[in-house]
This record gives sequence, structure tokens and C-alpha cells, in this order.
Amino acid sequence: MTDEFDSLDPNVRWIVTEARRPVPVDAAARARVIDAIKAEPVPSRGLGLVTWLSEPHRLALPPFATAALAAGLVGIGVLGGLAINRDGRSAAGQLPAVAVGQPQLPDSLSPRAVKFVLIAPQATNVSLVGDFNGWDSGATPMKTSGGTWTVFVPLHPGLHTYSFVVDGTHFVSDPTAPIAPDDGFGHRSSVVLVRKPSL
Amino acid sequence: MRAIALLAVATSVSFAQDARERATDPLGRLDPSTRFAVEMLMDSARLVGLPHGPLESKALEGISKRASGRDILVAVRRVYRALREARMALGPSATTDELTAATGALRVGIPASELSRLAATRTGKPLTVPLVVLADLVTRGVPRDTASVTIFQLFQRGAADDDFLGLWRSVERDIVSGTDPGVALLNRAREIPTKGTSSAVPPASGVRPDDAKS
Repeated sequence: MTDEFDSLDPNVRWIVTEARRPVPVDAAARARVIDAIKAEPVPSRGLGLVTWLSEPHRLALPPFATAALAAGLVGIGVLGGLAINRDGRSAAGQLPAVAVGQPQLPDSLSPRAVKFVLIAPQATNVSLVGDFNGWDSGATPMKTSGGTWTVFVPLHPGLHTYSFVVDGTHFVSDPTAPIAPDDGFGHRSSVVLVRKPSL
Repeated sequence: MRAIALLAVATSVSFAQDARERATDPLGRLDPSTRFAVEMLMDSARLVGLPHGPLESKALEGISKRASGRDILVAVRRVYRALREARMALGPSATTDELTAATGALRVGIPASELSRLAATRTGKPLTVPLVVLADLVTRGVPRDTASVTIFQLFQRGAADDDFLGLWRSVERDIVSGTDPGVALLNRAREIPTKGTSSAVPPASGVRPDDAKS
């Protein structure tokens, strides 16, 4: 016994001693265990392809191939995003009906692209704020074409309150949408109701 | 050159970090005491089964509009009280959207008793659109009583959400054209056919917008 063992609490020493004591084993025990294992039916391996597909496999690629694969996946994601964002429509061409600040029914949970428009030819920048982006004026900038500022935003069906921020400081309500009552901060916001997609 | 590049990188990292912090801790820009009070209100709302989202949203709106902590807290408390009152008026089955719309109606002075009457006749129809339209019309100058009676009658007689939205658009146009808001509402409400009647509202006195323009 080592000095370290001797320094242990007497109760702990007793436990360790007992744990280290060899357990007497029946000489035939090993044979019984082996026989029991052999008696178990071999599990069916099923169809070879199904089994192969369901089992994990290690795939080893050289670094160059790995980088090329990763770049390809990123490219697919970028192209998909560009296809969706180019004109607010998905590449598949199917866009749920947009509401230009028009109230609609709330029902399901799937977000729908809603178009927001503000005509402000004198503005240098306009952004959209509302309960859907934490009222963060940096979250949803709008794009202008001849003084007409536009943005598409995916919104979950339901009631949303929003406002436009012109030139970073002026909060402007949507003249085409119902007014939300006084916000408590001296401004007026607007309300949009997003319908669920019709089936 | 290297210093400029480093500065640009540091600035972009700082902006990105700021955006991440806003995303992960949106109330972080509140002063500690206001934040504590707002979060207490949100917790209270959760405890009594009220939606806490509108409370947080109101606080974030105040941050965005650079309101003081005191004003933000006043606004959030107002929303909390309105939600509680709306829940009592509309009942436990009211959705979050209905509660939010009802707070708008309460905010413009529609009595809770009127909301209760509306809820009592709903028969499964959502109240969100009628309440939003009601609050908007009162905000635009339609007398409270006229607006609530008209909307209530339309709802009771089966007007659909599209009817209410069309009504709102028409009345809004008429008001912008110079028609008295109350008269505009009554005139346009007469045009809405509802179940079992040719019009939902009895004929009203006043000048129609088309007559006023000629």
C-alpha cells in the first residue's frame, strides 16, 4: 500500500480494499456466458442498401475537394437568396398576395411577404420599423425608385404595428393604412393585418 | 494604410457586435431601473395570461423613438392596463390580435362595455378588423358614439372583414375630400349589404360625397 492510500480516511480505505478484493468466479461461468451469447438469434441486417444508408460512414476528402464542396454549397445558398430577393418574389414565381399597407385577416403562422411603400421624393433614406423587427431603424432599409420607397418584409399572419423612419429621425405613418392610436411618444403609427395564405 | 484598414475592420466588428447585442438583448438600451420595471410588467403579464409581446414591443418602440425611460415606462404601463381591460371585456378566448386591437379601441375612448357587447355577438367571428377600423375612424374624427354604434350594427348583421376594410377605405377617402367624418361613415355604411337587410344602417342625413363634389 502506498503512502497515499495510508493517508485516506479509514472508512475510505476499507471501501477501497473491499473493491479491490478479487471476486471468486465459478470456473464454468465464462463458458455459460459464451453459450448464452451464441444462443441469441443474429439480428436481421435487412436490405443491404437500406442498412448501408442508415449506418454512419466516415467520408475522407482531400482539403481541396472539401473547400470546393463547401464553396458549392455556399454558392447554391447565395443564388437561392438572390433569386428570392431580386424582386421580392421566389424563384418558383409564387408569391402570396401582398398587402400594400392594406389590413387583412390573421389566421395561420406562415410568414407572407408584405410590400410597404412610401412616396417621399425628398428623403435621402427611409427605413421600416415595427413590432416585427424590434423597431430597429437599421434592420429594414427601403429602396427608392424615383422617390417611391419600397420594401418587402415577411410577416407572420396577424396584426402588426409599424412606421416609416425618414432620414433617420422623422417617424411617419403610412397614409394608405389604418392609424394606430397615439403611441405614447407623440407619433402616430400604422397597422397592417396579414392574412393567412388561402389554400 | 494599415491603420485605416484596421480601423475599418474594428468599426465593422463594432457595428456587427452592436447589432448582435440588439438582437440578443433588445431591452439592453434601457436604463437599469426602467428595464427592471418593464420586465416586471412583462412577467406580470405572463403570470395573468396576458401577451407580453405588446409590452416589449412598446418598450422597443420607445427606444427607437428616443423617448425617455419615464415616458417608455408610462407607455408600457398603459398598454398593460389596456390589455388587462381588453381581456376582461373580450373574455378569455380573445386572441392576442383581438386584445391588441381592443387596446387601440380603448385608447381612443371606446368604453369597455361596448367591447363586451361586441364580443357577446361574435359567434366565432374574429373581432380584430372591426376593432382596428373602429379605432382608426375615431382617430380620424368620427364621433365615438357614431363609430361604435355603426361598427357594432354592421358586425351584428354579418358584415365581413372585407366589408369593414372597404368601409374604412371609402370613409378615409371621403374625409380627405372634405366630408364630415361622421357623415362620411354613416353614408358609406349604408352601402354595405348585410345578411337579411338591404343596408346595415338606416338612412342618414347629410351630404353624400358625390353631391358635395358637384
